[in-house]
Amino acid sequence: MNDLELDAVYTELCRVLGEAGEQKALTLLGRFALLAMLEIDDADRLKALIARAAQSA
Amino acid sequence: MTTELKPYPFEFIKRQARPRKGSETEHHGVVIVGGGVAGLTAALALAVQGIPSVVIEADDSVCFGSRAICISRRSLEIFERLGAVGEILEKGLPWTGGRSYYRNQEVLHFSMPHDANQHLPPMINIEQYYIEEYLVHALESYSELADIRWANRVTGVAPQDGGVMLDVEQEDGQPYRIQADWVMACDGGRSKVREALGLHLQGTAYEGIYIIADIALKSALPTERLAWFDPPSNPGSTILMHKQPDDIWRIDYQIRDDEDPQEAVKAENVLPRVQAHLEMIGETAEWSPLWISLYKANALTLDSYRHGRVLFAGDAAHLVPIFGVRGANSAIDDVDNMAWKLAAVMKGRADPSLLDSYSVERVFAARENLRQGMKSTEFMAPPTFAFQMMREAVLDLALDTPGVRSLINPRQTSAIHYEDSPAVAAGDHDARFTAGPRRGAVLQSAPLRHVDAQGRESTVHVTQLVRAGQFLVLAFGDAAGLPADLNQAVASLRESGLGVRALAVCGREQGASGDEYLVDPDGKVAGLYGAQAGGVYVVRPDGHVFGRWLALRGQELVDAFAVLLGKTTQRRSA
Repeated sequence: MNDLELDAVYTELCRVLGEAGEQKALTLLGRFALLAMLEIDDADRLKALIARAAQSA
Repeated sequence: MTTELKPYPFEFIKRQARPRKGSETEHHGVVIVGGGVAGLTAALALAVQGIPSVVIEADDSVCFGSRAICISRRSLEIFERLGAVGEILEKGLPWTGGRSYYRNQEVLHFSMPHDANQHLPPMINIEQYYIEEYLVHALESYSELADIRWANRVTGVAPQDGGVMLDVEQEDGQPYRIQADWVMACDGGRSKVREALGLHLQGTAYEGIYIIADIALKSALPTERLAWFDPPSNPGSTILMHKQPDDIWRIDYQIRDDEDPQEAVKAENVLPRVQAHLEMIGETAEWSPLWISLYKANALTLDSYRHGRVLFAGDAAHLVPIFGVRGANSAIDDVDNMAWKLAAVMKGRADPSLLDSYSVERVFAARENLRQGMKSTEFMAPPTFAFQMMREAVLDLALDTPGVRSLINPRQTSAIHYEDSPAVAAGDHDARFTAGPRRGAVLQSAPLRHVDAQGRESTVHVTQLVRAGQFLVLAFGDAAGLPADLNQAVASLRESGLGVRALAVCGREQGASGDEYLVDPDGKVAGLYGAQAGGVYVVRPDGHVFGRWLALRGQELVDAFAVLLGKTTQRRSA
């Protein structure tokens, strides 16, 4: 995935989240996370990603 | 802290129109409505081609305040071709990149494309009043061709058969009329011409509001684009800083959704925020405010820029968001595109339908600019909670995750490639080239040796070869001259009145050949352009590639021009 493709999917996610509205956005992100887990298909990597995502917040 | 605005360190000369002779209706070939960057550039682009114009400008001086500040390399190339780049480069501050900070940590350090092949910087910062002043200077050399009517305003626009009737009011309120063959509407975002024709801009208006301030501050900071997201000095805000000539800094920041814009723009509310920010970045020198205004991003355009004999350009045709500096730069490109086509039509070299391609190409360019500008705006002024939330995630991750940093890049303006235009040579060999500027794209610059007819050598860059109002033929090969067949075609085109500059590009110096030619000693330009011996690039007067061929017969060149100029029964394919 190049910078332009990353930009395009990032913008698509922002747009879809915006359309869903604040109430439903979290559920949508949850669904997206689950689908991404199945695609990544590697428990160790996913655990590391979850830990990194939690680090800053 | 004083809240009083100080004057700019610039003399705004009050200018006057030449006295009018008589009271009857005047007739002019071209009337340019609006004497800002677009209108003055248009007048110059026509004048260098020998076309006279009258510019109607409502103000009596160049623009005041903080407006366009960043001029791109592409715009500088255009000004160079028009003979106006000298003072602009002398005054402007060149820059090549920038930095973005999240809270107080740097998350992005970007560079714009720049290499040893370039003779112009990717961007310069300069106040718009300087650009306009220098254009006025350049126009003084063409006083017979450019009549700038300061403090005159257009009050009525009536399209007629074969022209346009304009009602104009002089400074003293005296009305007069001008019958114009062609009108260039360069009269800005609140275009009177657009209104008179009942036309409306279409698109998106953004909610996010920015404060724009110019301050006088002596600082040792280099010229870069500086952005802070959620800085400790102004939590929750986004702040941009640009250095301009004369120790002036432009500061832009977004106000919160819950703020009243009319309150937020008051000096007593702006100055403490600026002060806090300067303190945060360690700028302790005294400073004073020069200008404060509000800005709201718009992404709007007309569907067509040609309405009979009225042609729209710049903000009168489209309003692009501020982020990415596409406003003045796209206006300069608009009039550069329009000027050679209008000159060709007025000189009888081209059918008026060539002007339809102005609209096709520049509406396409505006839509590309809007798309890019909207992406910049979505990051700089997030339109929904989702863009806001995701931006925080990007900035937070960017500290230790380089992969997301490209999302912070401000996506500065770049020249538009006219992919599908009726004013390029559709039958060329574009797809068979493996390198070089595509058909419809702008030239890539690189140095070459130029040998004149007397054998004298000098260095020249490819983009400098394009002359106002002339097509450029670059024929790659071993000889100092064009192949005989192509040479003959060029001669017949010139006889028909078309401006064509034809240059052979060869590998070694061959002394005086009686004609000018170019030397590409190590084959660098041939490589950059993907050109083998026999390869030909034909370039339009605006520096966009008309077509490129692996080999080109003279008759093919003549035929391609006949289609472009509407001098054939064959229709241009759109």
